[in-house]
Amino acid sequence: MLNAQRRRRSPLSSLANPKYIMVYATIGIFLLIYLAGAAAYGSKGFRSVRTFMLMFIDNAYIGISAVGMTMVLITGGIDLSVGAVASLTGMIIAYGNSVLGVHPLMCIAIALVVGVGLGLTMGAMIQYLNVPPFIATLAGMFLARGVTSLISRESISISNSMIDAWAGWKKYFVKLQDGEWVKIKPVAYINLNVVLFLVMIVLGALILQRTRFGRNVYAIGGSEQSAKLMGLPVARTKILVYGFNGLCSVLAGLAYALYVKSGWNLALQGAELDVISAAVIGGVLLTGGAGYMIGTLFGVMLKATIPALITFNGSLSSWWGKIATGALLLIFIGLQRIVVVSTERRSKQGGK
Amino acid sequence: MKRRESIFKSKLIWAIIAEILILLVCLLMRPDFFKIEYQPQTHMWYGSLIDIINRSAEITIIAMGMTLVIATGGTDLSVGALVAVAGALALKLLRWDVTVYNTPGDYTVQPFILVLFVPMLVCLAMGMFNGVLIAKFKMQPIIATLVLMVAGRGIAQIATNGKQFTTLYAPFRFIGQGSLLALPMPIIISAVAVLGVSLFTRLTSYGMFIESVGINRNASRVSGIKSDTIILIAYALTGFLSGVAGLIYASRISSCDSNNAGLNYELDAILAVVIGGTNMSGGKFSLAGTVVGSIIIRTITTFVYYFGIVSESIMAFKALIIAVVIVLQSEPVRKWMSSRKNTGADRIGGGVHA
Repeated sequence: MLNAQRRRRSPLSSLANPKYIMVYATIGIFLLIYLAGAAAYGSKGFRSVRTFMLMFIDNAYIGISAVGMTMVLITGGIDLSVGAVASLTGMIIAYGNSVLGVHPLMCIAIALVVGVGLGLTMGAMIQYLNVPPFIATLAGMFLARGVTSLISRESISISNSMIDAWAGWKKYFVKLQDGEWVKIKPVAYINLNVVLFLVMIVLGALILQRTRFGRNVYAIGGSEQSAKLMGLPVARTKILVYGFNGLCSVLAGLAYALYVKSGWNLALQGAELDVISAAVIGGVLLTGGAGYMIGTLFGVMLKATIPALITFNGSLSSWWGKIATGALLLIFIGLQRIVVVSTERRSKQGGK
Repeated sequence: MKRRESIFKSKLIWAIIAEILILLVCLLMRPDFFKIEYQPQTHMWYGSLIDIINRSAEITIIAMGMTLVIATGGTDLSVGALVAVAGALALKLLRWDVTVYNTPGDYTVQPFILVLFVPMLVCLAMGMFNGVLIAKFKMQPIIATLVLMVAGRGIAQIATNGKQFTTLYAPFRFIGQGSLLALPMPIIISAVAVLGVSLFTRLTSYGMFIESVGINRNASRVSGIKSDTIILIAYALTGFLSGVAGLIYASRISSCDSNNAGLNYELDAILAVVIGGTNMSGGKFSLAGTVVGSIIIRTITTFVYYFGIVSESIMAFKALIIAVVIVLQSEPVRKWMSSRKNTGADRIGGGVHA
């Protein structure tokens, strides 16, 4: 992440590197929209820590999945199966525990094997059979969704003491008042999902910026042909990236299961679009080769701000949220285009 | 002998074989599966086969445009949302004055020609919007069309105020439920669309230009083809055809449903094209293959409904069929098979992959 760059050269010059421009754009627009919301609805409580944390809590599962998606997108691929795999995870936990009486940890382990296995299989199909990622993961999505429906067509609630304890775990924000720690008002807290989300973002950033694997991911996205010619392990890296995304989908499914405490075969339909658009708004280039986890983090936050604003407004139809998301996407791909064109122009001039 | 080899080299043959196999399974399980009856009251032929083609009409129509889009090396994810937009606009225009929703009315407020053409033209405009983003601003097709895919349903909902209207207006219902030449209207409309797009690509040089752009956009531009215009036309046409499909869908259910109209159509349409043997990376395309692909997708659905299998498991079946077709069509497998049949001739990939 930024820190990694900061250590090498003087802090300011590396931060001004044009490759961070998309991340800055995301952060800037997020701040703009958030501050506008705070100005307009501050009196209703938009400015409160509680509102801010609720945006995290309500979108943690999207964010967890976006970590894996960011990596897939950086390789130049795409994964449409994330929502279906997350839904399958919820169903395995719900059905396994509530109907079959299997221990939830065992259920999660099974879901991990299934999710990562499916991810690796799709990766292998993409790598060895030359199937376009869009089609291979579409098949994966259909398969996961179909299997979930075969397990059960009804929503199954999860009632297990361990899952309840996980879902109920909260860390309240406190402040020092008269020598005593008291909860701030209105009450704000983080839960396990938020912790998981932030841990995954940090883990993803470390993998991308600090490991050889991460550098290979960027290299493949930049040019797969060149990566191959340089002798990088292209096949292994690509397959592992889809496997890692499978892992993220399962964790997102776990987070969603903790959030709604049930498993349902139609849950999270279309979630893959939320995840992809969060990553794109966060500055990840769909052509591959560029993108940062910190951008994705703010992409998720930016996407979360819109429904929050609409809720606070109260009179707008929630459908404006969709249109606003579409407009945001348009702004960001427009920005990306400008950045790409200007970099191309600069590199051309450098060549002369 | 030589002809047989070339048949097995074609991707289309695998799609047809797959379709025949599914139909054979249906026939084995229900001997009367192929029965077609003429109903004098409605002047229509009835039967599972007719029904499959009838119900596949929307996807076939959209997939005609999608084939061209994919041949240029792009994708259009917005078609499903455009189907919803067209339906919402048509019903809004038909029942402009409704205050009480869901009370069916057998009249139209606007001239019927407006009801038909406004939705199609709006969808055409939205298709052109996609095309401009992709051709002029050189944006990635997947995300350029993601914009309208996300925003389109919102627009459809706002057009109808989030409500569903129902109509009984006979001329409108005729589009999806009527019959012409003893065949359901959707079949006729999709036949016209297939014929129209085929003639357009074969009689003019447009088809050749599209393949050329899909194979190498820059080389085509340098050799004098207006790549941008070619790409723009493909997206505009897809938008227009999505509008047509949206009218058929709305007419079939006599109402608009902005949430579910055209849901996952983009996936089905892309699948139809890929099963039909058109490569996602662009280049050569096969409209006939796309028609077969669309019918395969519908056959699977009919199969699942017909035999009372849990309807949501259609997806699992689709996944299986996709996996089989894709593995059979994939380059390594076809190379391997051709090298067994015909050692030495290693020109398989060249023709299609380009």
